[in-house]
Amino acid sequence: MTTPSVSRTTPQQPRSRPLPARSAWSGVLIGVGIAAFVDETVFHQLLHWHHFYDRSTPGVGLVSDGLFHAFGWFAVVIGLFMVADLRHRAGLVGRAQAGGILTGTGAFQLYDGTVQHKLMKLHQIRYHVDLVPYDLTWNILAVVFLAIGVTLLRAARHINSR
Amino acid sequence: MVHQHGGGQPGGAALLAAAFALGGGVAYLLAAARLRRRGDRWPFVRDLCFAAGTAVLVAAVLVTPPGGPFTAHMTQHVATGMVAPLLLVLARPITLALRFLPSGGRRRLLAVLRSRPVGVLANPPVAALLDVGGLWLLYRTPLFTAAHERPWLMALVHLHVFAAGLLFSAVVCSLDPLPRRPGVVLRSAALIGAGGAHAVLAKTLYATPPPGTGLAPGDLSAAAELMYYGGDLVEIALAAVIGLQWYAAGGRRLAREGRRTAGTGEPPASASYGQ
Repeated sequence: MTTPSVSRTTPQQPRSRPLPARSAWSGVLIGVGIAAFVDETVFHQLLHWHHFYDRSTPGVGLVSDGLFHAFGWFAVVIGLFMVADLRHRAGLVGRAQAGGILTGTGAFQLYDGTVQHKLMKLHQIRYHVDLVPYDLTWNILAVVFLAIGVTLLRAARHINSR
Repeated sequence: MVHQHGGGQPGGAALLAAAFALGGGVAYLLAAARLRRRGDRWPFVRDLCFAAGTAVLVAAVLVTPPGGPFTAHMTQHVATGMVAPLLLVLARPITLALRFLPSGGRRRLLAVLRSRPVGVLANPPVAALLDVGGLWLLYRTPLFTAAHERPWLMALVHLHVFAAGLLFSAVVCSLDPLPRRPGVVLRSAALIGAGGAHAVLAKTLYATPPPGTGLAPGDLSAAAELMYYGGDLVEIALAAVIGLQWYAAGGRRLAREGRRTAGTGEPPASASYGQ
């Protein structure tokens, strides 16, 4: 009650403030979830390129895989609720969100393709074939997603600072 | 919960467990009906959840699911340890009991809820450890074969799987008034940790059976995949409960802010006192 004049001179409703950072995070969560989902559904279940478990993975690879598997489902659910919340607040910044999705997808795919597939020797992309073209496609695609995502995020931040 | 393995007639323990589950379900529905007659608002969807949870329990206890013996065992575990607990927790049975019980009973229930052991158990990491840790013990130590030779031990194992699943679901959802309601971040971390440990155990079961068992490879892999994907479905549902709570809390906060902003258009009557 001591500063009523200050609160009276802020007429912007909190309802329509753009929230680029939160939009980006919602995108990252959804992006990680999409990457995990595509990995599971397309490569394991539709193409049968990945095995459910190839029996040669060391413990650390399994732990990493299990945690990212659990996190992927959680991330996509929470990410979608964040989108609902952002829309409720009319604060969704489309470019930040798209940047977040691509960054999340690219980062997870790159982690999967380098650390999990190669370093931890988790399952490979495909079996009984020359892996080099598969690995290159997988990781280059991941870097492209990541680069576009980071560019979009920077552009969204630029919009915000204006 | 107790149930029969490998087909045949359900044993006495299984019938007892089914009777307990059925009794709990009937008690819930009667209490909810009385609350409504009194004029309380108690959504029917909660009755539906509790009835469904009871039905899943009774079915898991009395019916032998299809598939090999280990796959059938796993179906029963997914049902009693994950699906039924989630449905029961969604029905908020403790809230119902607190509203239904006379004041003496309510005081006793509150005393139990505020007791030290419940306070320890209601921690998300403790609940996660009891739930998934118990499964690791069961499938990765000789406990599984030992329990198969001793019906009382198997009954105890099933009871633990159900109770730990109920505790974990209750703590992660936090729909009922728990002591020191844990925060969203801690509950989420416990869910992801438990989901990860569950997925890892399922994957290793695919390759390596519990020690001392000679299971058919097809039976083992089917059970492991059932555990893995069944766990995913329940994890998604639990994450949706957390997300919905977070969204609803955000909406309430937003509505409060909106009211406050609308209120500043007119200076409140007390404003002059501060100047």
